[in-house]
Amino acid sequence: MRRKLVSCIVAITMCAGLVLSGCGNTKSETKSDSKDTATKTEAKAEELHVAIAANPPSLDPPTVNSNIVGGIGAHVYESLFAMNENYEPTPVLAESYEVSDDGMVYTIKLRQGVKFHNGKEMKADDVVASMNRWLENSAKANTLIGGSVFEKADDYTVTLKVNQASSDIIMILAGPIQFAAIYPSEVVEAATAEGISEYIGTGPYKVAEWKQDQYVKLERYEDYQASENASSGLAGKKNAVTDVIYFDVVTDAATRIAGVQSGQYDVAEEIPLDNYAELADNSAVKLNVEPGGTINLFLNTTEGIMANEKVRQAALASLNCEEILLAIYGNEDLYQVNAGWCNPTDAQWGTDAGKEYYNQKDTEKAKKLLEEAGYNNEKIVLVTTPDYPEMYNATLVVQEQLKQAGFNAEVEQYDFSTFMEHRADPKQFSMFITSNSYNMLPIQLSVLDKGWAGLDRQEVTDGITAIRSAASEEEAAKAWEDLQTFLYEYGAATVLGHYTGVVATGANVEGMEYLRFQIYWNTSVSE
Amino acid sequence: MLSYIFKRILSLIPVMFVVSCVAFLIVYMIPGGPATALLGMEATTEQINALNAELGFDRPFLVQYADWIVNVLHGDWGDSYFLHQSVLAAIGEYFPPTLSLAVLAQVFSLVLSIPLGIIAAYKRGTAVDVAAVTASLVGTALPGFLLSMFLMLFFSVSHHWFPVAGYAGLEQGIGEHLKYLFVPALSLGIVQAAYITRMTRSSLLDVLYKSFIHTARAKGLKERKVILVYGLKNAAPVILTAVGQSFGSLITGTIVTETLFNIPGIGMLTISAINRRDVFVIQGVVLFVTLLYVLVNLAVDILYGIVDPRLQPGRK
Repeated sequence: MRRKLVSCIVAITMCAGLVLSGCGNTKSETKSDSKDTATKTEAKAEELHVAIAANPPSLDPPTVNSNIVGGIGAHVYESLFAMNENYEPTPVLAESYEVSDDGMVYTIKLRQGVKFHNGKEMKADDVVASMNRWLENSAKANTLIGGSVFEKADDYTVTLKVNQASSDIIMILAGPIQFAAIYPSEVVEAATAEGISEYIGTGPYKVAEWKQDQYVKLERYEDYQASENASSGLAGKKNAVTDVIYFDVVTDAATRIAGVQSGQYDVAEEIPLDNYAELADNSAVKLNVEPGGTINLFLNTTEGIMANEKVRQAALASLNCEEILLAIYGNEDLYQVNAGWCNPTDAQWGTDAGKEYYNQKDTEKAKKLLEEAGYNNEKIVLVTTPDYPEMYNATLVVQEQLKQAGFNAEVEQYDFSTFMEHRADPKQFSMFITSNSYNMLPIQLSVLDKGWAGLDRQEVTDGITAIRSAASEEEAAKAWEDLQTFLYEYGAATVLGHYTGVVATGANVEGMEYLRFQIYWNTSVSE
Repeated sequence: MLSYIFKRILSLIPVMFVVSCVAFLIVYMIPGGPATALLGMEATTEQINALNAELGFDRPFLVQYADWIVNVLHGDWGDSYFLHQSVLAAIGEYFPPTLSLAVLAQVFSLVLSIPLGIIAAYKRGTAVDVAAVTASLVGTALPGFLLSMFLMLFFSVSHHWFPVAGYAGLEQGIGEHLKYLFVPALSLGIVQAAYITRMTRSSLLDVLYKSFIHTARAKGLKERKVILVYGLKNAAPVILTAVGQSFGSLITGTIVTETLFNIPGIGMLTISAINRRDVFVIQGVVLFVTLLYVLVNLAVDILYGIVDPRLQPGRK
C-alpha cells in the first residue's frame, strides 16, 4: 500500500514538473514579445552584451595567439595595416607606404592627428616601440620576418628594414592573429613578461573595465579618428554604433544559449553545433554560420614507428573523413570535405592539391602498407583533450578507423595544458588532432612550424622560400600547391575537413560582421 | 571552553602545513604551466620554456616550496599571473559572491527543510511523511547541474523573472544582488534541504519517543511546545551538525553552480586558476578553502556546547 502511495506521489510530482515547465514555455513567447522588447528598447540600445566562451588570458594581442584576445583587441587597438573584407591589406594607422627598389626597406607614412585613448597623439616613437615588440613577441611575426627592424625617420614616418625581400611583407603586417597593435611607447616600455598592464589603443572603443572572469566593458572613444575609407572588414571607417559593449564571460555553452534566448545576451559566441538544429527553429534567434578553419591530423614524422613513411601513408589511407566530420558536427551544413589547408574560397591559396591522399577510405591499402612497412603491432598513441570536444570526438573516430586497418591505436586524453605539452614533444605522441583557424598566408600554418609537430624537412623550408620569393601571385600559388602536395605525399599531416563556427544573436541585432573575428563596431540592437 | 578553542586553533597548524605541502606538490606535479595558458595554443616550446624560466618555474621543487612557504608566513601569498593582483586580494574579491550565495542557499535550505523535517517526523507514517521522504530522496539523488538547468529554464528563459547568469555586488543594491543570486541559491538550497530534512526528521524521531517527551505530554503541555521546545532542542546537535556540514560544503563546493550561473566566486576562481595553471592562486585557494572548512567545523563544535551544555568539551 505504502509502495503504491510513493509511486503515485513520484508520478504526480513529475507530471507537475512537466506541466509547470510546459506552461512556462507557452507563456514566455507572448510575454517576451511584449514586455521585454519595451525594456530592451531603452536599455539595449546603449549596450551590447556579447557572451564569450572564455576569460581572455590577457588584452595584449601581439603576444597571444587567441581568438578571444584578438576579437576584443580589434575593437580597442589598431595596427598600421589591416585586412579589408576582400582579405587585402589596407592602411589603417598608416597613410601610405613605399618600398625601395631592392625590396629591403619599407617607408611608412603615418596618419596625423590620431589620438590614443589617453589623449596623447600617436607618433613614430609609439609605432617603432610597438612594432619592434611585436616582431620580438609574436611567434608568427618572428617566424616570418624575424630580424627585421622598425626605425623612426621623423615624427610621422617610420621605416622597416627587412632581412629578406618578400612580396608578402604588408600582408604579414596586416595579419589579424597576434596582430601588430600600436600602443603608446610608455605602455610598451612598462610591459613585463606577462604582457602590458595598461590597455590603451587608438580604436573606436576603449577599455572601461575588465572584471576578471566576469566581463570586459568597452566604451565608445569619443575622440576616435575614423579612417575616411568605407567600412570594410577590419579596415576603413569604424562607427561605434553602440555606446557600450560588454564581453560577458560565460563559459558554459548551455548558459550562453539560455542567455540569448532570454534576451540577456544579444550575441552568444561559440554555439555548440549540437544545438544548431534546435536554435534554427527558434524565431527569436538568428544564427550566423562563419567559415572557421580546418580540423587536422598531425602525424609524428620524427620518432618511433610513425617515422616510417609507409606507416604514415597507411594511416592516411585508412581515414574516412566524411564519417569523422559527420560524427563531430552532426550536420552536413556545418562542415566541408576538402583537402585544402587554406580557405577553399581563397582565390590565391585555396587548392586541393594532394587530394589523392585525402579521404581515401581504403582499409585494404592501409593493411598492405602496414605489412610492407613491417609494422609489428607497435602502440600508436593518439593524444587529445576533452576540453575541445571536436578534437576529442574526431580522435575517437580516427582511433576506430585506424584499428580497423590493423593499427594498435590508443587514445591518451589530458587537460588542455598537458595536451599542449605532449603535442609539442614528438616523444610523447604518435598522432594528434587540433582545429586551427584559417591563416591569411599558408606560410603561417602551424603544420609548417617544426615546433608544432616536429616536421623538419628541407622541402618545407624550400617551399616557404619559393612562396615568399615568387615573382607573381600565380607563381606563389603554384609553389604553395607543391608544398601542400608534399605534406600529403610525405604523410606529415592531413586536413580532415573544414569547420564552421556558429554565433547566435537576438533577432533584433543588426550590422554584425565577420573577418576572422566577430566585428561589433557597426552592430546595433534595433528598437 | 576557551582552552578547547585555543587547542583547536593550535591543531590547525600541522593541518595547514600538510595541506600546504600537498597543494604545492600537486601543482608542481601537474604538467603544463601558466606560460602555456599565457602564450596560447600555437606557442612554440622555446617560448613556453623561456617564459617558465622567467617566472622561476624551472627551479628545484624544494627551492620553490621554501620560497613560497616563507612568503606565505610573511603574509605574501604570491601574485596571480592573470588577474594582475595578489592572491590575497583575488581571494578577497572572489569570496564575497561565494559567501552571499552560500548564505542565501542556506536560508532557502533551512526554510524548506526544518518545517518539512518536523512535519514529517510528527506525521510519521502518513502520506505527508512519505511525500517529504520521497522529495528529500529525489533532491539528494538529482544532479545539482540538472536542477540548476531546470530552474534556469523555468525562472529565466521561460518567465524572464530572473537573469540567466551573472552577478551584481552588494554595492549595486540588495535587490539587484539578490536578483542574480536567487536562482543559483535556490538550486543549491534545494539540494541541501533534501539532506537537512532527512537529518531533522530522523533526529526528531529519536527524541520524540524518549520518556521526557511522554512526561511533558502527560503534564498537559501543548503539542506545539512539546515538539518545538523539548523535541527540537534535544534534536538540535544532530541538526546543527547537518547544517554545519551543509554550510561547509556550500562555501567550498559551489564550483558547478558558479560556473553555470557565471558567478565570480571562489569556485569559479579555482576552476579558472587550474585551467590556466595560475599556480599561486591554486595554492592560495586550497589553503584558504581548507582553513575555511576547518573553521566552520570549529564553529559547529563550539555551537554544540552552547546549544547543549552536556556536549561541552571536557565535561563528563
